[in-house]
Amino acid sequence: MKGNHIGELEELVLLAVGALYKEGAYAVAILKVIKDSTDRKLDVTAVHSVLRRLERKGFVKSSMGGATQERGGRRKRFFNLTQAGRQALDDVMAVRMALYNKIPKLIFSQLSL
Amino acid sequence: MNYKPPRWADRFLAWYCNPDLLEEIQGDLYEIHDEKCAAGKPKLARFLFVWYVLRSFRYDVIRRNNKYKNSIFMMTRNNFKIAFRVLWRDWFNTALSMGGLAIGITCFLLMGFYVKQEVSFDHFHSKKDRIYRVWLKEDYGDNKVFFNSVTPLRFEELLEDDFSEIETAIQFNINNYLVGKGDDRNNENVAIISPELFSVFDFKILKGNPAKPLPELNDVILSASYANKYFGDEDPIGKSMGIQIGEEIRDFNVSAVFADIRKESSIQFDMAISNENNKNIYGERAMKAWFNVSQETYVLVGENSHISAVEEKIPDVVMGYLKGSVEEGVYNIGFQPLTDIHLNPDIPLGIAPVGNRDYVYILAVISVLVLVIACINYTTLSVGQSLKRSKEVGVRKVMGAFKSSLINQYLSESLVIAFFATVIGIALANLLLPIFNDLTNADVKLGFELWHIILYLGLVLIIGISSGIYPAFILSRLRITAILKGNNQASRNHYIRKGMVVFQFVVTVFLISSTLIMRQQLNYLHTKDLGFNYNATVSVPLYPDPSANRLSQLIVTAMEKGEILKEKLSQYPDIQDIGLGSHVFGSSGWGRLAFTDDAEVFRRFRLLVVDPYYFNTFHIKMKEGRAFDPKSDLDKRQSIIVNQAAVDYFGLDEPLGNRLPSKRFDDHAIIGVTENFNYSSLHSAVEPLVITQNVAIPYSGISDHGYADSPIPKLVFRYTGSQLSQVKQILNKEWENTFPEEDLNFDFVEENMRYQYANEDRLNRLVMISTILSIIIASLGLLGLTVLVVNSRTKEIGIRKVIGASELTIFKLLAKSFSLQLLLGIVLSIPVTYWLMKDWLSGFAYQIDIGIGIFTLSAVISIIVALTVISFHTIKASKTNPVNSLRSE
Repeated sequence: MKGNHIGELEELVLLAVGALYKEGAYAVAILKVIKDSTDRKLDVTAVHSVLRRLERKGFVKSSMGGATQERGGRRKRFFNLTQAGRQALDDVMAVRMALYNKIPKLIFSQLSL
Repeated sequence: MNYKPPRWADRFLAWYCNPDLLEEIQGDLYEIHDEKCAAGKPKLARFLFVWYVLRSFRYDVIRRNNKYKNSIFMMTRNNFKIAFRVLWRDWFNTALSMGGLAIGITCFLLMGFYVKQEVSFDHFHSKKDRIYRVWLKEDYGDNKVFFNSVTPLRFEELLEDDFSEIETAIQFNINNYLVGKGDDRNNENVAIISPELFSVFDFKILKGNPAKPLPELNDVILSASYANKYFGDEDPIGKSMGIQIGEEIRDFNVSAVFADIRKESSIQFDMAISNENNKNIYGERAMKAWFNVSQETYVLVGENSHISAVEEKIPDVVMGYLKGSVEEGVYNIGFQPLTDIHLNPDIPLGIAPVGNRDYVYILAVISVLVLVIACINYTTLSVGQSLKRSKEVGVRKVMGAFKSSLINQYLSESLVIAFFATVIGIALANLLLPIFNDLTNADVKLGFELWHIILYLGLVLIIGISSGIYPAFILSRLRITAILKGNNQASRNHYIRKGMVVFQFVVTVFLISSTLIMRQQLNYLHTKDLGFNYNATVSVPLYPDPSANRLSQLIVTAMEKGEILKEKLSQYPDIQDIGLGSHVFGSSGWGRLAFTDDAEVFRRFRLLVVDPYYFNTFHIKMKEGRAFDPKSDLDKRQSIIVNQAAVDYFGLDEPLGNRLPSKRFDDHAIIGVTENFNYSSLHSAVEPLVITQNVAIPYSGISDHGYADSPIPKLVFRYTGSQLSQVKQILNKEWENTFPEEDLNFDFVEENMRYQYANEDRLNRLVMISTILSIIIASLGLLGLTVLVVNSRTKEIGIRKVIGASELTIFKLLAKSFSLQLLLGIVLSIPVTYWLMKDWLSGFAYQIDIGIGIFTLSAVISIIVALTVISFHTIKASKTNPVNSLRSE
């Protein structure tokens, strides 16, 4: 599993890439999604480097978008989840759910007391 | 894009960023920048933009373009990889060149660090550039010059009070005192220092108050090793020690302990008391004297001042004090930088011993020469190999290699060799260091501080490039067509290569001859008939009466004490020819007296005060007249003996019955003239000497005197050789009986005689080490070259043998070319050696002649070594069955 392991930030970015499927996931957009949904302020360069890392691991694929008038004419690089990326996310979720479900209900009732 | 981000950051990004990633990153940064600006925060926007640009500067973003990829990063790796393979394949040659280089580097490092230590003597003081030693030159004209780097006591006050430029002036002197109490007393050299000494020099206080290590009159400070010697592991602070100054044994309290002083310091002491005691030690009058020199004075010039300002003012200030007593220009005070003391021969010796500047330079040159021949060794070997490699070059060139890339390739090889040779060299130097220090009596350390590492790396680069550049050029210059057709192009380079081999031989033979000449000169110095016999003689320093003050009293009272001891020793048959004398052979600087004779000529002579038996002890021969008669009271009172040099110098036609050429001397008569025996080292010719039993005679007429060697008399005797330990016992026993309070010291005169040439002995040893190393290096090179030649001529040898050549013919054939080079080397080395060694020998008043014998000997040595090395491989080649060499292919 070591090769497929993804870190917490990687997981978050990967989720954001998946969530932005329709709008088109590029660095600044990912930044905003993460900020809106978790209130974490990330550095754009950090997102860049995570994306490059994910691409090297084969979890995302990228392609250049078309030129626009915005951004001084610079094109965006859009990212898409790959099959492996999707699988990785599913695995992480499955592990979490499996562990989560093992937490006995009792604990909650006790806590609430 | 509505808002402009900072242009320099944008450009910087474009410069370093990988072009594949540039567009998206730039775009993202622009977008964020725009957004922040639109939100009305242009400052934050600009800051973030710069921040992100800097943050993006990461390994995987940086541009790695094709140019770098190919020639620097990739090719260097490739070059080194191939270098390793090639070197491994030719391991024999590699070992030879690496071994030669390693030995050269070892020699260079050992010698280099020795030279460095000598050159950087006293350099460890942080204020070294502002510290000067004061000298005093009294010049009365007519060659009557007194030049000293010890100065009057009052200089400390004078320099400190009258010159605002001088921050601190301190004095330093060493006296010999009896230290300890009761029966357990030792003679120790005790320094008398200004308490501020520690604020001028960087000597470290370990215990006690670093700001004021010597607060009280009765305080003494000790070095760490002396603290250990006297108090062991106990804390010495506050303990008391007895020191006898004059008649009085005073109690001193240990107030501080300082770290042992490094060997490369001119100022050396292990025990010191404050110079507040000066009045007690030297007397009131000396404190104010202008012409009584004893102290080394050092000044620390203020941070914003320059010594020249002091030098300018000093004549006026001095004349202010001395008006009327001396003329202008007589009393001169000057300053010598601290770092100049150890190696400057122009200023006389102070208290500190000094080194010999010429010897240091000689060693520096030799160490570089050895390194150069090691480099040449490598160069000639790899040029020799270029034949083998020419095919490789051809193929590379056909494949499109540039000349520069070929050069890089071959330089990488020599860098690899140089690197490993340096590593081995450093390791060897470390291993040999104890032996080296032992042989040369030096204290060299090899370090691994930053500058050492830089030096080592620099050495790798310099050696690698300088020894590799020539073969690299030769190889890369070869023409493709010629190589691939199989033509031999190497002949063009033969002259340079042979020239280098010859140079190597010149240096090696030069070193061999020099070692031999030095050895011969030293043998001559050690064995020359000096005009006296010092075999199996011992000298025992006596002690004057503690109450004696004046020099003549000191001499007389010590003589009297010597008589008592002599009486007791004379009952033992093992101890013979007992005599007394103020100086003993083997120590330089016998008492030097000066007077103005009746013709107003300033004269100097040396003085020896003896008892009548001294002549007997050392078998001194008389040339005319007679020696002192022990029974004659007249002799004791007013007879003197002079040496032949004195007769010539004073111009005495009829010496016997005559007197010294000045009326001021008390009544006396010359009763004998001795041969010119060499009482000082053979560096100088025999000087005029006056020998007397009555010290009052010479002192009645002189105007000046100086002693570098203590004139307090010594008892001398000859022991019957085999019973040395018994003699020591007798001496110990009788000394204890006679002088229970004092410490017994004795010296073997032979040892002191040898020690006179310690500097020369050391130089000779160092040169000998370099010679042996360079012989090894040259032999390795020669071996490598023979192997190459033999290998390239295997077929030829085979054919010759088939036709009928004998083994001897083959050997001659192979040895011929090297023999010619060697002969040329020998011939060329002769003038160089002769010229340089003549110069070295001119430092001695007594020299050997550089004869043809030495050169013949060194030629024979080098030829034998060379032939042995050549035959090592040649004989094997000439013996091989031609079938084997001809069948291959």
